Amino acid sequence: MKVKVGIMSFAHLHADSYAHCLKANPNAELVGIADHDSARAQAKAREFETQAFDSYESLLASDIQAVIICSENARHAPLVQMAAASGKHILCEKPLMTKLDDGKAMLAAAQGAGVQLFTAFPCRFSPAFQQMMRLIHAGAIGELLALRGTNRGSNPGGWFNDPELAGGGAMMDHTVHVADLMRRLTGHEIVEVYAETGNNMFHGAFDDTAMLTMTLQNGVFATLDSSWSRPKTFPTWGDVTLAAIGTRGVVEMDMFAQYLVYYDDRAGRVKQLFWGDHIDYLMVDEFLRVVAGAERQALATGEDGYRAAAVAIAGYESVKRREPVPVQA
Amino acid sequence: MTKVGIIGLGTMGAQHMDAYRAMPDVEVTAVYDHHAERAQAFAQKYSVRVAESLNDLLDHCEVIDICTPTYRHAEYALPAIEAGKAVVCEKPLARTLEDCERIVNAVKQRNTPFMPAHVLRFFPEYRTAHHLVQSGAVGTVAAVRMRRGGDFPRAKSDWYADFGKSGGVILDLIIHDLDWLLWTLGAVERVYAKALTFRNLTHLDYTLVTLKFKNGAVGHVEGTWCDPGGFKVNFEVCGDSGMLEYDSARQVALQIATRADGGTGGGVQVPESPATQNPYYLELRHFIECVQTGQTPEITVEDGYNAVRLALAAIESAQTGRAIAL
Repeated sequence: MKVKVGIMSFAHLHADSYAHCLKANPNAELVGIADHDSARAQAKAREFETQAFDSYESLLASDIQAVIICSENARHAPLVQMAAASGKHILCEKPLMTKLDDGKAMLAAAQGAGVQLFTAFPCRFSPAFQQMMRLIHAGAIGELLALRGTNRGSNPGGWFNDPELAGGGAMMDHTVHVADLMRRLTGHEIVEVYAETGNNMFHGAFDDTAMLTMTLQNGVFATLDSSWSRPKTFPTWGDVTLAAIGTRGVVEMDMFAQYLVYYDDRAGRVKQLFWGDHIDYLMVDEFLRVVAGAERQALATGEDGYRAAAVAIAGYESVKRREPVPVQA
Repeated sequence: MTKVGIIGLGTMGAQHMDAYRAMPDVEVTAVYDHHAERAQAFAQKYSVRVAESLNDLLDHCEVIDICTPTYRHAEYALPAIEAGKAVVCEKPLARTLEDCERIVNAVKQRNTPFMPAHVLRFFPEYRTAHHLVQSGAVGTVAAVRMRRGGDFPRAKSDWYADFGKSGGVILDLIIHDLDWLLWTLGAVERVYAKALTFRNLTHLDYTLVTLKFKNGAVGHVEGTWCDPGGFKVNFEVCGDSGMLEYDSARQVALQIATRADGGTGGGVQVPESPATQNPYYLELRHFIECVQTGQTPEITVEDGYNAVRLALAAIESAQTGRAIAL
């Protein structure tokens, strides 16, 4: 039995990747696409050989079991609530929310409707991260003392530079993946955040540079660079790195350092061509299996998404107050 | 002939001695160390006279080079400055800001040549990067990351492990990067830091420091005495029109790998970056030429003060959990 899935909004570029994952997965049927931009819905429906629905309501009225939501960040909340009310299971793009109240409303809507809400945190599915977790849990570096992470990228532009729709800039865009990995790795919540931001890359009314310092429940401290600081000539989109410092040693993960270096004369560029596992595929595959009744393993819940987004939200509060602030549960 | 006296004959004293010996117009007239045995061994190795006292050393030298542990810098620097000597002092300038102030005031009063030995400025990768950033190669700087460290440093008397003497990984180790950042990006507005320094862990120290610069850039410095993987440094400077990066673990000019027993046992890899002139030589040569010509050294006593001030602010942040404005 194939799991019938719809995609709500292609505003976030990750929707394209998830659509490819659904098309490639023998257990999935991409039933249709709805988007507040109806021209985009039609173009994407043609591209992915599926149906364009003329409204979110009509998509949700179809016999789909689940939706993947890839709208602008601030629009996650109404779409999650609509999908939950229609009894659909949900995989929502990160960050789950831009405001704590939105997040609470989303969690409550899913719970009230008895649907499962998940957050798109594909990095959890990285074999390099999972091996790092096994090593640390097996005591390879002794007691964990500190973490150092990066999730740098380049400015996606468009609505990502509109703080109303995006909920912020680089810090809102790129904090949650690695904050989630830190929570996943340690099993502890991030309880305090200090952050510095800047806008010297693009000189806009949004942060393009962001550096967070976090304290976990168990006293481990961590920093995370979530800047859009990769130059235009950088050989790939960015990075996800995480280093763990322990009493007996250090583990350093560079999640996407599985690539060929391609000197492309035709493009006048040097590129990194990734050949590692396709983590979006692994994540979407688990989502499909969980919707079909299997037990959740690595898939991030709505609560995980909430906790990670709350770190970015606390980061903005810290920037305002110029001091460390507690992360709201 | 410029007559030099070296105080403190550990690793850095020997490093400096080697540099002076490559200068035909410099003579290391005498050396001094409060460990008499170490001084004798050093004197024998380099065929140099051990001074009987600090005054003996001051009487016979024009230039005093201080290579003692940090907490003794002021104790030797102040009388040398008072005696009108040119002084080159290892980094950090001193263990406390009060000692730094005393040194700054003494230098101002006596108007003697003085240079804090922030040798990183003479490492070609850091020097080249500084000049490139200054010339606008990456445009307006937005984000800088620097990393320095390896395993815990071992020294006679284990003074690195004594926070009161060394200041830990922030004051002793990443002061190099803090000085480079001040030199390259200018003043810092605010600093926030976390560190293992006060956890009472034996021979483990680690820090993550965030800096907000007055020009709007954000900096991140990692210092580690926790990494058994060998000493490594790296940095990247991201600006609105480009990025510079360097990683000593990736850009390796020469690497030798050998088996410990010449047979099938475990091996050791040693990376090298051979060059015709070493940074310690370039640094000390610069100071000697300043002494000889009356030029002002490019690293001033105020630079030494500012680097310590920033490092101590980072330590204060790590201790109090607050962001420290400068």
